[in-house]
Amino acid sequence: MTQTDSAPAEARALTIIGFLCNWCSYGGADTAGVCRFKQPTDLRVIRVPCTGRMDPLFIAKALIKGADGVLVSGCHPKDCHYAVGNLYARRRLEVLKRFLPFMGIDERRFHYTWVSASEGQRWQQVVTDFSEQIRKLGHNPGVDGATRPYAGPGSSQPLKIIELARAL
Amino acid sequence: MKTSLTTELHEKIREVFTELELMIGWEAGFDALHTTPVFIRSADDVGRLTWGLLCAQNLTTYLGKDLTLMAAARESNKKIGICVKGCDSRSIVGLIQDRLIERDRLYIIGLPCQGVIDWKKVAARMPISGISSVRIAGQEVIIEGAAGERRFDLQELLARRCLRCLYPNPLISDCVVGETVAPRVKKQDVHQDVAKIEGLSLQDRLAFWQQELDRCLRCYACRNACPFCICQDRCIAETRDPKWLSQYVKLPEKFLFHFIHAMHLAGRCTECGECERVCPMDIPVTLIKEELNKITAELLDYEAGLDVNAVPPLVTFNPSETGL
Amino acid sequence: MVSASMYIAQDKLTTTLDELAKKFELWVPVAAMEKQRVVRFMPYQAGMEPVLAEQSGLGPKNALLPQVETLLKFSYRKDVDDPGQKRLQLEAPEPPKQALIFGARPCDARGFLIFDQVFSHGPYVDDIYTARRETTLIATLVCLDEDAACFCSSVGSGPADMEGSDLRLTPIAGGYVVEALNDRAQPVMEVLAEPASEIQLAAARKVQEEAAQRRVGGADLTQSRASFLKRFEDMGYWREMVSQCLSCGICTYVCPTCYCFSITDEMKEDRGERIRSWDSCMFYTYTAEASGHNPRPTRLERYRNRVGHKFGYFPEKYQGMIACCGCGRCIRGCPVSIDIRRVAENLKESSDACA
Repeated sequence: MTQTDSAPAEARALTIIGFLCNWCSYGGADTAGVCRFKQPTDLRVIRVPCTGRMDPLFIAKALIKGADGVLVSGCHPKDCHYAVGNLYARRRLEVLKRFLPFMGIDERRFHYTWVSASEGQRWQQVVTDFSEQIRKLGHNPGVDGATRPYAGPGSSQPLKIIELARAL
Repeated sequence: MKTSLTTELHEKIREVFTELELMIGWEAGFDALHTTPVFIRSADDVGRLTWGLLCAQNLTTYLGKDLTLMAAARESNKKIGICVKGCDSRSIVGLIQDRLIERDRLYIIGLPCQGVIDWKKVAARMPISGISSVRIAGQEVIIEGAAGERRFDLQELLARRCLRCLYPNPLISDCVVGETVAPRVKKQDVHQDVAKIEGLSLQDRLAFWQQELDRCLRCYACRNACPFCICQDRCIAETRDPKWLSQYVKLPEKFLFHFIHAMHLAGRCTECGECERVCPMDIPVTLIKEELNKITAELLDYEAGLDVNAVPPLVTFNPSETGL
Repeated sequence: MVSASMYIAQDKLTTTLDELAKKFELWVPVAAMEKQRVVRFMPYQAGMEPVLAEQSGLGPKNALLPQVETLLKFSYRKDVDDPGQKRLQLEAPEPPKQALIFGARPCDARGFLIFDQVFSHGPYVDDIYTARRETTLIATLVCLDEDAACFCSSVGSGPADMEGSDLRLTPIAGGYVVEALNDRAQPVMEVLAEPASEIQLAAARKVQEEAAQRRVGGADLTQSRASFLKRFEDMGYWREMVSQCLSCGICTYVCPTCYCFSITDEMKEDRGERIRSWDSCMFYTYTAEASGHNPRPTRLERYRNRVGHKFGYFPEKYQGMIACCGCGRCIRGCPVSIDIRRVAENLKESSDACA
């Protein structure tokens, strides 16, 4: 951690979490390092054996708890080290990606991709692009809302949302 | 609330009772607006059962969670009898798909259903204290209250889930009691409610769920009423090892609980609507699963609870699919 | 000299509450703006319309025993003189403010009497609850709004029962007559502007007398302990009575007399809070032991414990006081409409066949 939570928001570094599969993507990141490719330093890597191990809830929890972005990277489909792990993963992660916006979470904060162990340059591109995307989106406001209870008049809640709830 | 259908139900059950370990159905509840699930173990008690527009509970929730039921049936080499509406029968299909119950151990009584009324909608329209009877006549509901008789359109009192029901007739059964019912909606209209949320901006959608989930108490009734949440006793939202959620009842915890519940149902939820019915804070939680089901249908061309042989898509894969 | 009884006209209710809110943290029953059928006690804000004509879904339990409450805050700081050491700093929670619960019912006030036994009467006194109790006044309505789930008289209370309350609110045509029941109520009476007239007082007395005569509920449930103990081992009885239980937490959360709690430390890096939060005897983890053994493995044992606690163990320990106020919220809120009255009444049947 380079800075504490008490630093002003603009000065705070972005928190981007990367789940990398041990075989292809972690290897790809290593390759990028060995070749000394420069990339933004906001990404914090968590190594998992395979993207098939990824529970979509890891991503949901990270975003709800305030991570600015989450990246998942694995072997290319049909090249999974465990044969089929990433084939499970791509279904689950795509469902999650389409679901997040329904709950009011920006799905652009989550990205999943496939990077092989030899693709150091591609890894550099993925990290640079995603970090730039998150920088444009800014810090994650999280899901914590106004502390004023919604039962109260004078709540900042738009009337149409209150009426939508009543109509359901 | 005795009707001729109830009588027919009693007769059908008595015919087969010797084959049954027990029969799960509904009986009259604490007042004229409620029923309660009942486990009939003796043929003498069959007369307690009732069937009608107050029988809201999805009885299949006990099948996957009360392991003593199947165990007792195996031991006596008999079957578990169960009454199911259209939506409930979909849950049975889903439970068979998930390999949580054995089809051969069930005697399923299918009940084509015109819908169940939401007692809270009655309470919004008339005082419920003193209601002595509720009955249906055609498309009207006639309620005898303290101040006399009131009549309502059935449509006005139906639960939200019934207004969007495509499967009022049982999809799986050993016998059927009642006439086939036509669905209330067309397939293209089932997602009208989630469309209202989808039509909002991202910020407004967040504001909507903040508003609704703010009332959540983390009572876990939605989870426990769900036939598919069979790991309720060891739920990741409550365990201490690993500890995923703190004990706070703030929005991040509530969002995460509902994410956990919904994501674990992705590709499995059969939209019985029990989660929403049981919520003491009137949170429209079924909407969350309706959206996930819409995504699963569009992306993977799959709906849970329709075909006992179909494999839920999120526990399998297709090497040649594209677009992901 | 403040009059012994005052009057709040219905159309002056909100302005009166505005005045009271300047002096007290005011808890009133309100309908959620977005879901009008959900009525719960919340801290009052200007413009809220209190719902006093029907029982709330969630009572004022949160005012004295919040669902989540900070017991203490702690942080580990590095010792400046000895960086290898970490010093622990503790911070007590803020002392409670003067509070007023306005619009409770006899069943709600009764819940707090049960809490007092557990939290305040020793041998271990819970300072946090007790401090809050001492700074909170309760203004209770004489209840005219029973429904099919109410049974306060069956458990030793009743619609006019003012035990544990500081003020009595009697609904009459056009408003409420407010009477102080003890000296603690003076700060509230001082805020009220209109003394009650003789006619209003007479109308209030009539309402109170009628309510005191009314019996809400069926059979007397106050002497159930012996029959409960006899039924304890009879799993056939519990299976017959509560097989439909889903083991959720609604009944315990909406119950005014339920007080079980968990204490957890919620930490982030080097600081955190020790919080107390509502627990439920209906949850699987309630009696789960560190060894992995669970003496209440199914909903049958857990529901049995709930009935046993309310009608057996608690009265045994606390001079016969039943840990149930007969409000009926558990019956109304239960997803499968389990009726605790039925479970308690049938305890005494000697055969295993039950109605």
